[in-house]
Amino acid sequence: MDCASVDVHRLTKRYGRIEALRDLTLRIDKGEIFGFLGPNGAGKTTSVKMLVGLARPTTGSGNVLGFPLGDRRARLHLGYLPELFRYPEWLTAREVLRYHAHLARMHGIEGEIARALERVGLAARSNDRVATFSKGMQQRLGLAVALLGKPELVVLDEPTSALDPSGRLEVREILRELRRAGTCVFLNSHLLTEVEQVCDRVAIVTRGRVVAHGTIAQILGEGHGVRIRASANGTPLDRILARFGRVEVQADGATVQGLAQDGIPAVVAALVEAGAAVYGVEQLTATLEERFLEMTAERGS
Amino acid sequence: MINVALLTWREMSRRNFFLGAAAATAALIAVTGWGFWYLARIHTARGTPVTHLEVLSMSAVLVILISYLFNFLLAVAAVFLAAPSLANDIESGVLLPVLTRPISRVAIFSGKAIALAVIIALYAFLTGACEFVVIRAATGYVPPHPAQAVGFLTLSGLVMMALALLLSTRMAALAASIVSVGLFIIARLGSTAQSLGIHFDNATATHAGTLSQLLLPSDAMWQAALFNLEPESMVAAMSNSHAWAGPFFTTAPPPLAMFAWSAAWIVVIAAFAARSFALRDF
Repeated sequence: MDCASVDVHRLTKRYGRIEALRDLTLRIDKGEIFGFLGPNGAGKTTSVKMLVGLARPTTGSGNVLGFPLGDRRARLHLGYLPELFRYPEWLTAREVLRYHAHLARMHGIEGEIARALERVGLAARSNDRVATFSKGMQQRLGLAVALLGKPELVVLDEPTSALDPSGRLEVREILRELRRAGTCVFLNSHLLTEVEQVCDRVAIVTRGRVVAHGTIAQILGEGHGVRIRASANGTPLDRILARFGRVEVQADGATVQGLAQDGIPAVVAALVEAGAAVYGVEQLTATLEERFLEMTAERGS
Repeated sequence: MINVALLTWREMSRRNFFLGAAAATAALIAVTGWGFWYLARIHTARGTPVTHLEVLSMSAVLVILISYLFNFLLAVAAVFLAAPSLANDIESGVLLPVLTRPISRVAIFSGKAIALAVIIALYAFLTGACEFVVIRAATGYVPPHPAQAVGFLTLSGLVMMALALLLSTRMAALAASIVSVGLFIIARLGSTAQSLGIHFDNATATHAGTLSQLLLPSDAMWQAALFNLEPESMVAAMSNSHAWAGPFFTTAPPPLAMFAWSAAWIVVIAAFAARSFALRDF
């Protein structure tokens, strides 16, 4: 049995002459938190809208929760928080949730509503009108709407953009709970540290194309260099290390760019053999932010 | 569909639409009621009180004038209710999470359209009933077929509602409203051209007017309402006169086929609107 929550092939979306997305191919399994990253205008929200059935792909096909894109049956088990979240201001939080619960044909509606409100920290304000809510509280309400009825796939488009740090922490904990419960989460976010902390896999999209996808470790790569604290005794450090990569000599040692972790023993051996005193070796790894900027800049140029 | 209809109804209630409409309509009925009451008590230039017959004939003309204004009010109200109801929800993003629920877009559209149609019809009938009761109490005048007249005024409002809904599936609320009201006025002018064409036996003007009524039958429904408000004596007098009747009088109702066309027009345009809503990207 296919256990993919999302399985799409070569989705392309054009708006007139503008190509918003090209050849998006993704497979996301149940119980996985998938991060979707990209700069503004990269095609992230377009992708999300095609997954939840708000927009139709120009070409390409795929399944969501085992049903073709846009199929209403998939929406029985789908939760969605849009980037531009707005809810009728003249309804209370409880009424908004009740409306969605009815539309989703849920059973035990009042229990579901109470659980969702409790989960996002809005239980005390459940009978207040949305008009009295701050932006952050409206985003919490949107999250409650998305979490109603134990969905199998939760698609969150910038779910923490209006939240304070403690709110973001709470959302990360909710995402981890969802993963433990076997729910698939598609997380579209600008907040790279957030993605780095919770996502199992990520895709980076820029200018409508996916430029990288994989686990966080795969995206970061094995490391892009080794920092060595050492002092030379005769032969200069740059001459000893030249064969391992591009060397930048510093006051207390040198950095060898392009050297992977498995090259470290050989480097240390070469230094010792040349009589250098080695005080420390540290592998340099890129942050997700650095890799993101590198990849999006490459495509941009 | 029922959930969406109930929510639309609740929106009108929470946004104080019903309260506002009731207050404005009560004021309108009070003012016109006072006018008719006063009309029945005025004196002629010779100092003699107006006769009951004179009151009835003046009331007949004034009822037509008030109905004409009410027709315009109802059409504009229908447009300004319908267009924002859909377009604002699309623009603001309120509809986005709703559209990802397991409910068809046609059902969402139909729920809104049905709720709006019920509100427009209720408003028309309640206002019409109150107005005619007040006029009768003040002057003793009752138009020949008040219920039918209000029915046709309601159909005219529903024509405008369907048009505004269709436009609002692809246009901003304000643009859809302005275009709808503009087309309503063009249809009114078309109808006037038709009546002039008939009077002066000019085929071009007649056909242009007929075409405008076919394209937007709001004014044809007004003509039907008008005919139901005119006393037989008024119709006979206008028929015997060789003067142009103008936009406030008609000597014959629109042909029967026009009623069928208007009803079909509302259904077809609403169906087009539902399809347009269902096929668009968000």
